[in-house]
Amino acid sequence: MSRNVVEKLLYQLCIDRSVKQRFKEEGDKLLARYALTDEERHWVQTFDVAALQKHGVHPMLTMGFWQENAPHRSPEAYMKALCPELSATEPVFSAALKQ
Amino acid sequence: MGKIVGGFLVPHDPVMFVAPQAPQEAVAQRMWAAFATCAQRLAGLNATSVVVIGADHYMLFGTGCLPQYLIGTGDVDGPIDPLPGLRRGVIPDNQKLASFIAEHGKDNGFDWAVGRAFTVDHAVAIPNQLIIEPVRAQGQHIGTIPVYLASGVDPFIKMRRVIQLGAAIKAAIEASPDDERVVVIGSGGISHWVGVPEMGKVNEAFDREIMDYAVRGDLAAMEALSDDYILANGGNGGMEIRQWACAMGAMPGAKGEIIDYAAVPEWVTGLGFVQLHAA
Repeated sequence: MSRNVVEKLLYQLCIDRSVKQRFKEEGDKLLARYALTDEERHWVQTFDVAALQKHGVHPMLTMGFWQENAPHRSPEAYMKALCPELSATEPVFSAALKQ
Repeated sequence: MGKIVGGFLVPHDPVMFVAPQAPQEAVAQRMWAAFATCAQRLAGLNATSVVVIGADHYMLFGTGCLPQYLIGTGDVDGPIDPLPGLRRGVIPDNQKLASFIAEHGKDNGFDWAVGRAFTVDHAVAIPNQLIIEPVRAQGQHIGTIPVYLASGVDPFIKMRRVIQLGAAIKAAIEASPDDERVVVIGSGGISHWVGVPEMGKVNEAFDREIMDYAVRGDLAAMEALSDDYILANGGNGGMEIRQWACAMGAMPGAKGEIIDYAAVPEWVTGLGFVQLHAA
């Protein structure tokens, strides 16, 4: 269980532009600097926010990580990733700072 | 010698800025008007300083340092997370009083973390802009003193401790050498779920329970709320009622008056506005 180091990484991926850029350009090298398990590395690389939350990662960070780095950054896409069973017709209300 | 002349308990909902059209127009107008009412009432209190009690949203403090409570004793600016209509800029401060509160606390069992040049997030910037700035615009000089509690990111500060901290703020203000007139603002949403599958849920029953405690000035009831109860009924964002409890702790005996309330799922929270009238 290394929730703490996952949160350290996601925090930096939320606030540090240079880390975000490195994640985009050479993610493997960036992630190698952190003591992540193979599973944790996979969750980060695949933006598996549901798995990260089940792992205990703080939801403000999963949301921030998503809206700053995911290929599709909309609140709707985040909620769909978090709750795959969510109906496409259900309205999505989000606390995301970028909508 | 300073004194606390009033208080407000208000939300700091960033979604009001990023999705202003989301709720029904009448509801949205009421919520903006509630902030304006707070500003009008603040003007009538002739305050010299406002202590704004907020919580970090995992953007100011990272895993390397998570303070239980912090006060900005020097230059203040922000927000670090500017929003449409909420620009980053310098925020007028009161370094002398803020430093006095920190020092007085250290002499009395409250080892404040301090920010000597501190950038706030929207938890302080929103009430600063919507409640304090309109009063400054009328010519009153008011310093903003930011206080941050660990209610957004664990390990959470204990409810008992935030009430004690409020009392420590009061004691410091009353011991300060200048004739400061201070208003405290507890800045936090009531029920809200942030970043989790329940996001958008609002629990009006919980919101009204908390507002009822604020109206009655019932610090014992606030202190008795367990984290499990708050998380189950108010969501992870509901932990922000610690900011309300801290402001209430600074005004023991104060009675609250509800200015307005609405459960607004589109803005992901129950927005409650309460004025605390000094005993």
